[in-house]
Amino acid sequence: MPSTAVLQDMYEDMVTARYYEERLQEEYLEGKEPAFDISAGPIPGELHLAAGHEASGAGVCQHLRAEDTVTAPHRPHHIAIAKGVDLKKMTAEIFGKQTGLGKGKGGHMHLFDPEVNFACSGIIAQGCPPAVGAAMANKKRNTDNVAVAFLGEGAIDQGAFLESLNLASVQNLPVIFVVEDNDWAISMPKDRVTDVEDGSQRAAGHNLPGIRVDHDDAIDVYEAAEEAIGRARDGNGPTVVEVQVHRRMGHFMGDAEGYRPDEDVERHKARDSIERLAAVLETHGLTQDDLDEIRARSERRVEEAIDWAKEQPLPEPEEAYENVFTNDPSGVTESPPAASPPGGDE
Amino acid sequence: MSQAVAEERELTMSRAMVEAIASEMREDEEVFVMGEDIADYGGIFGSTQGLREEFGYDRIMDVPIAETSFIGAGVGAAQAGMRPIVELMFADFFGVAMDQIYNNMAKNTYMSGGSFSVPMVLMTAVGGTYNDAAQHSQTLYGTFAHLPGMKVVVPSNAYDAKGLMHNAIRDDDPVVYMFHKRLMGLGWMPSPEGPKVGVPEEPYTIPFGEAEVKREGADATVVTLGLHVHRALDAAEELAGDGIEAEVIDLRTLTPLDTDTILESVGKTGRLVVVDEDYRSFGVTSEIMAVAAEDALADLEAVKRVAMPDVPIPYSRPLEQEVNPDAEDIATAVRDVQ
Amino acid sequence: MSGDRVAVDTAAVWPDDVEAEEGVVVNWFAREGRAVNEGETLCEIQVEKVSVDVPAPKAGELVEIVLGEDDEFVKGDTLAWIQPS
Repeated sequence: MPSTAVLQDMYEDMVTARYYEERLQEEYLEGKEPAFDISAGPIPGELHLAAGHEASGAGVCQHLRAEDTVTAPHRPHHIAIAKGVDLKKMTAEIFGKQTGLGKGKGGHMHLFDPEVNFACSGIIAQGCPPAVGAAMANKKRNTDNVAVAFLGEGAIDQGAFLESLNLASVQNLPVIFVVEDNDWAISMPKDRVTDVEDGSQRAAGHNLPGIRVDHDDAIDVYEAAEEAIGRARDGNGPTVVEVQVHRRMGHFMGDAEGYRPDEDVERHKARDSIERLAAVLETHGLTQDDLDEIRARSERRVEEAIDWAKEQPLPEPEEAYENVFTNDPSGVTESPPAASPPGGDE
Repeated sequence: MSQAVAEERELTMSRAMVEAIASEMREDEEVFVMGEDIADYGGIFGSTQGLREEFGYDRIMDVPIAETSFIGAGVGAAQAGMRPIVELMFADFFGVAMDQIYNNMAKNTYMSGGSFSVPMVLMTAVGGTYNDAAQHSQTLYGTFAHLPGMKVVVPSNAYDAKGLMHNAIRDDDPVVYMFHKRLMGLGWMPSPEGPKVGVPEEPYTIPFGEAEVKREGADATVVTLGLHVHRALDAAEELAGDGIEAEVIDLRTLTPLDTDTILESVGKTGRLVVVDEDYRSFGVTSEIMAVAAEDALADLEAVKRVAMPDVPIPYSRPLEQEVNPDAEDIATAVRDVQ
Repeated sequence: MSGDRVAVDTAAVWPDDVEAEEGVVVNWFAREGRAVNEGETLCEIQVEKVSVDVPAPKAGELVEIVLGEDDEFVKGDTLAWIQPS
């Protein structure tokens, strides 16, 4: 059982993440009703909200330092919050602002924060190989830093994940794969597309340990992550951790979820990990007032971030041409010495 | 012109595609569709809407997020004589499966000396303008057109979409069918006026390698495809107000390329503007200009290209608008070559 | 007579388990003056995020389109009128 301080910290991360997604949903839908036009409003484009996933980010990131690398999929906000990504700059990026994490160039699916070694991406399982690479770098430099790749349960069918397991296993790298199983890959329930019921079983095929956390429970996630991250820091290699979560807001904003039975939606909502953790905190001596205070603080923080983001300027059109490369297109050459004429002697 | 008369019912581009697929599936048991979220969902961009209800889960087959395996499976099924239509959800995702596409699907006919055919359609959603950022907004026309062994088509309206789809399914060669998301007629991504046109009820084919002059003019040749056919037509309207008549050519097919129509127009106008929603360098604009330079150099007075710059596609609205050519940019280019 | 005209009614095609009372016309597939068959899809509307095909309630001539593309409406509004043949 984690300490009360840890439980409180996880609770705050989860409440912040939930409120953040609820507020982003409101901001996103502005200008998009009644005719849902995806490119209208203050947050245009796709938005994949993680309401229901909070236990995964909170439980895992409790064990991580700023120096540990995290890669996340297209549903990243709860992980970013738990990892300590700059919430104001992240929000500004989602709003497409000049002072966002990516200067407006990446948007919500492509959030990068070098301060805490966080990156997310839009292609399924795409974050797995880079996490393996970060782990490789950690090992070469003899640190006990680790890397964590988060992915959805749909991603365990993708080649990049499978190859990453093999490479990480063969080289005994300090990387952990956290599969967030919310049962649905857009409209696909897991049992129609994946050959195993428990994704952590993929680990066995690669000579790796696998842990399945069944209960949408932050404490269970915390304990599983403690084992996996501890193993990696000790130099004993990778682990696959599959964590049951649930999807409360559709695949993307605008998803009518017509393919999903109502009982499934209701069943998922009944699993709320935030309520479960609140109940545990109460047995640890926190009062409703204490919980309310944490909630109020979280909401304030989210509102500040949103207000700040809204005040930020949009990028200038010319900025579209910047940041393609770090160095000059010509590289880093200085004037090379003159070559000797062919034939040698003068 | 190919636009059907006003008494015809009109279809969105997505419905025209679906009508063609359904028609071919009724005719031939060996035609089936594989893709992500195509059965109950009907395809993220409506490309299989309603088909599962008619044909069932076996012939409208949802697959895991595993492109290398299911696109490669399409190649295998095609080589066994079936006619799979495989959907790559976004063209941008080709990266995880390109070996099966360009090394298998596109090359097996040739490497086998013609003893194997690959009668497969690879349909895929392309294009931006709705803030989906660098990994979900590309067209990649140049990438697919550049590599030998696959036919590549890009419809710009419902009539062309249906005819090209019928041809693509019946053709014994691999056809990459690239449909622009903004042209599909989706409720959540409003389309410009142009794509929804009269579509005949009966099946018909449009040959590959036949561009179409969508608007005649003597003052400039504007060659383009996909979404930018409509932007070019808007530009032409505006230019006509100033007495400049632009001829707009809709390529419809990239491979094989209809060079005759391009050269004939260049011969008439002497001024070539190529418009492309793919990256500027080493792509469609380069190819069309090279064709003109090679075979109509004497006719050419001026050339200009209007394309996406060589940068990843940015997310933020002002940045995406800056990089994606609009009607204004096209009109400016036409004026520049006068 | 106008009394013979049949309404193409939004309420008749409202999707189940959707609370919203407003919608928008997305696409028309027929123009005024076209002869339509009963059950033929005339247009597509969107209610919340659900897309609905609206069939012709009767065979006849589509004599008047009341709500055009992008027009917003409330449940019960008439989309168009058909003069039965």
